[in-house]
Amino acid sequence: MHHAHIDKFAYQDSPVHRLDARVKFIVMVIFMAFVISLPPNSVVILSLYAIGPFAVLVSGRIPLRFVFKQIIIVSPFILVLALSCPFYDRTPVSVSFGPLSWQITAGWLRCCNILAKFTVTMMCIIALVSTTRFTNLLEGLGKLGIPKILTAQLGLLYRYIFVVIDKAQHMLLSRRARSSNYLGFRNELKTASAMIGSLFIRSIDTAENISIAMQGRGFNQKWRSLSQMHTGWADYLFIVLSAIYILALELFAKPVLT
Amino acid sequence: MHMANELLSVPVAGATLTIAGGALAFITRRARKIIDADKLALMGILGAFVFAAQMVNFRLPAMPGTSGHLVGSVLLSIVLGPTLGAIVISSVIIIQCLIFQDGGLLALGCNIINMGIIPCYAGYYIFKTIKAESWQNTRTYVAVIIACVVSLEIGAALVPIEAAMSGVLLVPMSTFLVTMLGVHAIAGTIEGIVTAAVLGYLLQVRPDIIGDSLHGKIRLSKPAVIASLSIFTVITAAGLSLLASGMPDGLEWSYAERPDQSDFETTIANESTVIPKVDAFQEKFSLMPDYTVRSSKLGQTAQLEYEPAAAWTSMAGLIGAFLTMGFIWLFAQIIRKRSNSKPNPDTIAA
Repeated sequence: MHHAHIDKFAYQDSPVHRLDARVKFIVMVIFMAFVISLPPNSVVILSLYAIGPFAVLVSGRIPLRFVFKQIIIVSPFILVLALSCPFYDRTPVSVSFGPLSWQITAGWLRCCNILAKFTVTMMCIIALVSTTRFTNLLEGLGKLGIPKILTAQLGLLYRYIFVVIDKAQHMLLSRRARSSNYLGFRNELKTASAMIGSLFIRSIDTAENISIAMQGRGFNQKWRSLSQMHTGWADYLFIVLSAIYILALELFAKPVLT
Repeated sequence: MHMANELLSVPVAGATLTIAGGALAFITRRARKIIDADKLALMGILGAFVFAAQMVNFRLPAMPGTSGHLVGSVLLSIVLGPTLGAIVISSVIIIQCLIFQDGGLLALGCNIINMGIIPCYAGYYIFKTIKAESWQNTRTYVAVIIACVVSLEIGAALVPIEAAMSGVLLVPMSTFLVTMLGVHAIAGTIEGIVTAAVLGYLLQVRPDIIGDSLHGKIRLSKPAVIASLSIFTVITAAGLSLLASGMPDGLEWSYAERPDQSDFETTIANESTVIPKVDAFQEKFSLMPDYTVRSSKLGQTAQLEYEPAAAWTSMAGLIGAFLTMGFIWLFAQIIRKRSNSKPNPDTIAA
């Protein structure tokens, strides 16, 4: 069956991919906090904040079409909330941009701000996830102090997510093949709950098999991984560059543009 | 219901991340006592199951074109117990954030609280209190539905509360709250019906899973249940009182100045000089200062006050940013072409 291998680009190789997962994670979180803390009526400055994640995405060879498609897929909830802003704040503001100047309401300004922030932070998280293998990210998070049970559980979840989704897709396909029209809510519900229930049972059986296999191979609560985390000169360079970038935005761009 | 970063301010995001992290650390520490390789695999697979179950959709009556699906938090906490259920659902939310980019990374704390920890614990305890002894009794299934509705509603009510504390949204909190509660009342009922149906199916096919024999369940004594329920009530009440006093914008609107009507007379005048000082102090140090357009300079100036310099700066900023990104892209393309034109050692080996 086909399904979206959403983090397939994490398995490429590039200077950004080779950076330490911990470094990337911490830098991204700090950067996102700076983006979120921008005042709610700034719009233009966010385009400067977009340069950083954009550079990471491009140097990680992530196709931009994939990035924007991903942003659009997850946007509906935030889109509704952002578009409700113009209805609640109708304070007229005159906006001037270069030689042009026109009147809009403050609500539209905030709408644009929320959407721009959304785009920038989404670029950030996509840049992080699609340049870092999930196993490495988990190991980095474990080194940063996330409980071992949680990282091991996340690792297993990630490992089996596509296996179980595959099963579900097989079931969905066979349901589609066998039902031509709407059967009424009662029957639809009966079918769906039977599907979910049997998926549940199959999942539990799979888990039993897996744990028997794990114990058969001597699993003793310790998660081992081949990758060795180390911070090299490239990581320090990345930290310094991002620090300069964030500080420059804070000190020079923010006073002028907000 | 996944919150995005943009709806939160940094203090609220930090606080919720701390709370969620602390709660998860506490839960995992408790879980560590009963967990071995068995349950580790079980939890992982059930997390994957939640994803797959969300793909199984079904058409809803009365609303053509819409379809519902299961969230699964109450189902898991009934079968596994709230502790393991909360771990599984939280890790599902983390994966949704990291792999599927659904919900912001800084909003992860909020999402784990709203959709993971609260629905699992609340749902489990509500179910526990209402249910009848046997699974043949209809009351048990009613308990499942009520547990789903209430736990989803509490989680949904937290979303506008967190957004209002951050002060990012302009939507009045009451409107947002009513919308969220309305939508999730429907969603919760559907979730409840499906959960009850799935539990009924499991009871027919594999009664051992339902019948408390699935190892790794943490049992709680009755006093613990009552204590948690009362803590829960206090939290909900606190949230509701926040709603009552939350946004006095109607009042503020009626007595203060109205920017859209310049001839509007303010009905309250206070000559005291202390008030502006306190206001200025508050503005300086408050985490979420009132939204002001007039003092901003991003090319958007106050009414009729035209600031050409700022307008040109903003235009230069925007154009500069996009030029830079275009330059980076071109540069990368050129480098890529060059490295592609070199013979690739892998292809030669193949």
